[in-house]
Amino acid sequence: MTFYLPVAEMSANILIFLAMSAAVGFLSGLFGVGGGFLMTPLLIFSGVPPAVAVGTEPAQIVASSVSGALAQWRRRNIDFLMGGVLLVGGIVGAALGVELVGNLRRRGIFDVFVAISYVTFLGVVGTLMLIESLNTMRKARGGILAASRRSGQHNWMHGLPFKMRFHRSKLYISAVPPLFIGLFGGLLAALMGVGGGFLMVPAMIYLLRVPTSVVLGTSLFQIVFLTAVTTVLQASQNQTVDAMLAVLLMLGGVIGAQFGTIAAERFKAEQLRFLLATLVLLVGLRFAWQLIAPPADLYSISTGLE
Amino acid sequence: MRRGLNGVRTLTMLIALLLLAMPQAAAQRQKKSPPAVAREAPHSPIGEVKREQQPGARESVQADVSARNVAVTSSFNGTEIVIFGAVDNSQQPSAESGYYDVLIVVEGVPTRTVARRKNNVAGLWLNTAAATFDLVPSYYAIASTRPIDEITTEEFRATHGIGFQQLRFAPAFGEAQGLSTEDLAEFRRAIIRLKRKQGLYVQDPFSVAFIGRSLFRATIELPANVTVGPFETRVYLFREEKLLSQYAVRLNLEREGVERHLHAFAFGYPTLYGLMTVMIAVAAGLTASTVFRKSTH
Repeated sequence: MTFYLPVAEMSANILIFLAMSAAVGFLSGLFGVGGGFLMTPLLIFSGVPPAVAVGTEPAQIVASSVSGALAQWRRRNIDFLMGGVLLVGGIVGAALGVELVGNLRRRGIFDVFVAISYVTFLGVVGTLMLIESLNTMRKARGGILAASRRSGQHNWMHGLPFKMRFHRSKLYISAVPPLFIGLFGGLLAALMGVGGGFLMVPAMIYLLRVPTSVVLGTSLFQIVFLTAVTTVLQASQNQTVDAMLAVLLMLGGVIGAQFGTIAAERFKAEQLRFLLATLVLLVGLRFAWQLIAPPADLYSISTGLE
Repeated sequence: MRRGLNGVRTLTMLIALLLLAMPQAAAQRQKKSPPAVAREAPHSPIGEVKREQQPGARESVQADVSARNVAVTSSFNGTEIVIFGAVDNSQQPSAESGYYDVLIVVEGVPTRTVARRKNNVAGLWLNTAAATFDLVPSYYAIASTRPIDEITTEEFRATHGIGFQQLRFAPAFGEAQGLSTEDLAEFRRAIIRLKRKQGLYVQDPFSVAFIGRSLFRATIELPANVTVGPFETRVYLFREEKLLSQYAVRLNLEREGVERHLHAFAFGYPTLYGLMTVMIAVAAGLTASTVFRKSTH
């Protein structure tokens, strides 16, 4: 059963796309991650123009994180001021990123840019996760409890101006670091089609020292709004949002996530992290291969969309 | 559904043309010409019919396509177009005699196309050179009764733009390209080669077949990745490298239904379209969470 995607201008097999998004939804439910950094690469590998894949995926992230954000809000786990500051940075970053996407596409180097970005990020994140999960597993086997991380001092942050009081996080810090973290997240959302949770959560815990109880809710809150803004910006500036494709991805993703959450209860956290790290590295390697393998054809052509 | 309808239309058109082409059919003289076949008809069909009985009269060709308007809907996965025509005043003894040669060219919307070349930069394959061409046919098909170099002279092909090498697309004017002539020729060849690989440039030297003394047909494939827009179809009739008659008909590939509206919306009101997509996403997310919460409890 095929379906013609109006913006991607390609005919897609509905079942394949549903299965793909359900699989990613399952994994994101299993690992408790957004899944954008898996879905966008899969879309690109299956022939969706990279710009359309990157432009459309944020719409799916809106759908998959909005209910989670609402649940966190009901439990009062959101630091709205922190989320707001991150979001302001994020929107600026997304606007810059969307502009950059247009520029890179005109110069014909967006595909390569996306591949390099994914190799870098997935390589770094995957390696760190792999090491961490292996260490935890080894320690668990040796019967020693994993030592909780000692908090660093981060004195340099206290020297920055524009200090703000974040009541919910019990922090009195400069607004500059969260602004920049948000900005970076916004750039990633626009350039790579990800929600940025895999970056936001560690950054909030280790750099900003936000209490873990509000980290998840706050990052979900900012991701929903950031991806919503990114979707609108990509649509208006680059016309790379395919609503049909987005709906297909939402359907599969939502269903897959339900089963993923159930399956997650059967695994240990470090086992899950090990699996996720392997998966992340594999996707990164696939992109690396695309960059270094001699292409079958040195030439490529494009009309309008890449 | 659509294909079925097309099939029925093809059949009726074929029957109508068969009737028109059969010299023995007495009734055909009173018969009206088939519904508006010709937009640029060289002669009116009625005049043709009258001359049919005169032995030395000039041949002329008429043709039509199975579907003048092809809809690109959400189930679009490429389509097949049947081009059929008739030689009026055919002197051909039989369908197999090879007395006439027919050449059909179908050309899609001319578009600006960028060709890029990868180069190995520090171990990575990057696009380092590019050339922009204007008026590159988005689709180009040649169907004929025999290989085109046996049917026509090179001169004719050059003047009429027949054959991949004869396509007249040129480097975009005003684009500072700084490429040598050889480089440009290389990019040009690459465009043709890649378009052929994508099934957008096709050539089939034996795909036009005569069914009777005067009736012929050909089938061309429009792949799913074809660009929508008008398609110019030109039919040439030859006898021993001499052009006897030619005919043009246009077919249109149009987005229809949800496809058309969504595409128009996405490009006409992009901000609003983005907002709509976000609203759908929010609604989908909330619906899913209520549905699954109910089902798990």
